Amino acid sequence: MASRLWLRLAFVLAVALLAFQVAFRPVRFEGFVPTLTSPRIHLNLGLDLKGGSRLVFRALRENVSVEDLQGVKRIIEQRIDQLGVVEPTIEILSRQRRIVVELPGIQDPQRAINLIGKTALLEFVDTGTTQLPPGAKWSEDGKKVTLPSGQSISLPKNVKFTGADLQSAQATISDIEGPVVNFQMKGEAAKRFEEYTRENIGRYLTIVLDNEVISSPVIRSTITGGRGQISGGFQNLQEARDLAVLLRSGALPVPVEVEENRTIGPLLGRDSIERSLKAGYIGTILVILFMLLYYRLQGFLASLALGLYILLILAALTGLNATLTLPGIAGIILSIGMAVDANVIIFEKMKEELRLGKTLYMAIQTGWRRALVTIVDSNTTTLIAAVVLLWLGSGPIRGFAVTLTIGVIASMFTAIVVTRVFVDLVSGTRLASWLKAIAATGGRTSEAA
Amino acid sequence: MKQPSWDIIGKRKWGYLFSLLVIIPGIIALSVNGLNLGVDFTGGTFLDLRLEKDFTTGQVRQIFDRFGLGRSIIQKGAGRDLSIRTRFLSEEERVKILQALRQEFGEVTVLRADEVGPRIGRELRNIAILGVAIGLLLQVVYISYRFKSVRFAVAADIALLHDILVVLAAFSLTRKEVNSSFVAVLLTVVGYSINDTIVLFDRIRENLAMRAREPFDRLVNRSILEALVRSLNTSITTILAIGAVYFFGGTTIRDFAFGLMVGIATGAYSSIFTASPLLVDWHLWAQRRKVKPVEARLPAVGPSPVPATASPATSPGGQPPRKHKKRRK
Repeated sequence: MASRLWLRLAFVLAVALLAFQVAFRPVRFEGFVPTLTSPRIHLNLGLDLKGGSRLVFRALRENVSVEDLQGVKRIIEQRIDQLGVVEPTIEILSRQRRIVVELPGIQDPQRAINLIGKTALLEFVDTGTTQLPPGAKWSEDGKKVTLPSGQSISLPKNVKFTGADLQSAQATISDIEGPVVNFQMKGEAAKRFEEYTRENIGRYLTIVLDNEVISSPVIRSTITGGRGQISGGFQNLQEARDLAVLLRSGALPVPVEVEENRTIGPLLGRDSIERSLKAGYIGTILVILFMLLYYRLQGFLASLALGLYILLILAALTGLNATLTLPGIAGIILSIGMAVDANVIIFEKMKEELRLGKTLYMAIQTGWRRALVTIVDSNTTTLIAAVVLLWLGSGPIRGFAVTLTIGVIASMFTAIVVTRVFVDLVSGTRLASWLKAIAATGGRTSEAA
Repeated sequence: MKQPSWDIIGKRKWGYLFSLLVIIPGIIALSVNGLNLGVDFTGGTFLDLRLEKDFTTGQVRQIFDRFGLGRSIIQKGAGRDLSIRTRFLSEEERVKILQALRQEFGEVTVLRADEVGPRIGRELRNIAILGVAIGLLLQVVYISYRFKSVRFAVAADIALLHDILVVLAAFSLTRKEVNSSFVAVLLTVVGYSINDTIVLFDRIRENLAMRAREPFDRLVNRSILEALVRSLNTSITTILAIGAVYFFGGTTIRDFAFGLMVGIATGAYSSIFTASPLLVDWHLWAQRRKVKPVEARLPAVGPSPVPATASPATSPGGQPPRKHKKRRK
């Protein structure tokens, strides 16, 4: 029996060491050579903790193919590149026609929305002798134009070139026009552009982005080489740059709209981490104090197990590459309170066995055996709720469900295996009488309760 | 035995009454006020902003009126923080509003922005209802299987509905905002409440297997007293942990912690004062239906005059083979 106890102790220590390695990675393997680095937490933090934006875009057309959505994703990727976001993620939910974009640490989410969500369909429209003011809008069917004054005129949209004909686009500041976008057409389109401008001198070639007029220049002379310039309508260089980005990445194959935007500014994120860590410390200390006061030596042993429990949760989250969110932290703190439950059940049953006059050894044996049924049944029902959450939930709910699930499993392990090893270990020493005595004092307190 | 000798089951009517005193005003509040649904459910825009200059909510409201958003909820937070809840804004509208705010109050820092389209709100609501329903159903199946009796499952679930109602009532009465993390609160309460009830029922199951000659209501009462310490200790440690989140976790998570605290407290309460008494009443009711009218007039509470009916085999069960046994006796 004693040898098996040492075996179990070795097992618990091995689990603890492994968990420490997974969670804090103090030993790194480069090839086969282990090197020591200072341990630190390697958890992925959710956007609500580190700040950032989560944007959900929805395709506006029915019957969108997966290829369309992948096309949208590729273009969005290129556009995000320009924002300088570290580790953005883009996920396609094809059944819901949605694309979820996560941008950690972004400072200006509005700009991101403008940049990502724009269809960016650029069109060069032959408007004949009509010059249109910036801001005029074409109707969806391309037959009517609504002027900024509200007046509506009938003018068919005669598209000559589109953004797909462009090879490159760059923003600069021109001395006369202010911020402008210079573009270069592709070889074949450049030839058509040259022909077209030669034949249409004096007419207006209106530049339209997503059905809205940017500018309506007149063709003064033949343009060779396919070079052109979009000017007017830019408030600053940033806007011109953003348009250049949009033109370079091309138009989205399907128009999208923002359906959900959740942005946590970096200020609030940092605040949340600090506060929830503080809440975690205080909660853990209170729980440990309570255990010590009520269950004395057993409480101390259970607190040790609780330490391992927290380590296991960190390791599981890191190992599963899960993301820790604010509700997730709440889930951990909640499960710290509940982790103690399994210990409480065991100690109460042990106490009863002792009161029936059983030996300490027998009390530990039967106490644990009886408690096992209760713990498994009660935790399974919690687990059912957690798994349903995991299956249905998204975003914040999912984060909570992940930690709750891991927490329930880890708490069963620590109470059933780890605390048992500690109690068995102590029961073999001179401290054994303490275990007994303390079990008896617990009863008196219960009378007062 | 150093246990207190309270007669909880004997006074169970008071437990029911107390629950009704909480739940009836809650139901009235729910039907009159409804819940303060956040943008997660209704769709809309929530903005948490920090302004550079001092402001009053009236000034901000003027700006919003200009955009035809007179029905927005505008609140002043700590310092120069401003929170706004309004309908789902188009990109253009949002840019214009922020510009207008910048003109009046200097630089505007976005602390938090939640914009949810109406479709997503509907989906979330459906998921919440579906999740709670599926969770409940699976738990009934599991408990029925483990306790070999539907009665335990139904009693546990009535206690659970009781807890869900109490949490809903608490949110309705305090006008706290119900958002997506509220779904997590509800499902945690589902898990915790059932967990707590099961631990108690497990004690009843254990005692049923051991003592043959004790009347069912006495046995339940004794089981409650035996499990009381555990029930209190677990609730205390859990509430200590969540209380720390409530007091130190910051405003973003305070309502979440509040919901959990209410749920845990009522979860512990309902196991003792709702679930177990229901088990007893159901048992007594089933008994009355079986025995002759003369015996039925005997007081419902107290030791049963017919020893056989109090045998463990007949107590919670209601399964065919056990019924046969009883008839033989």
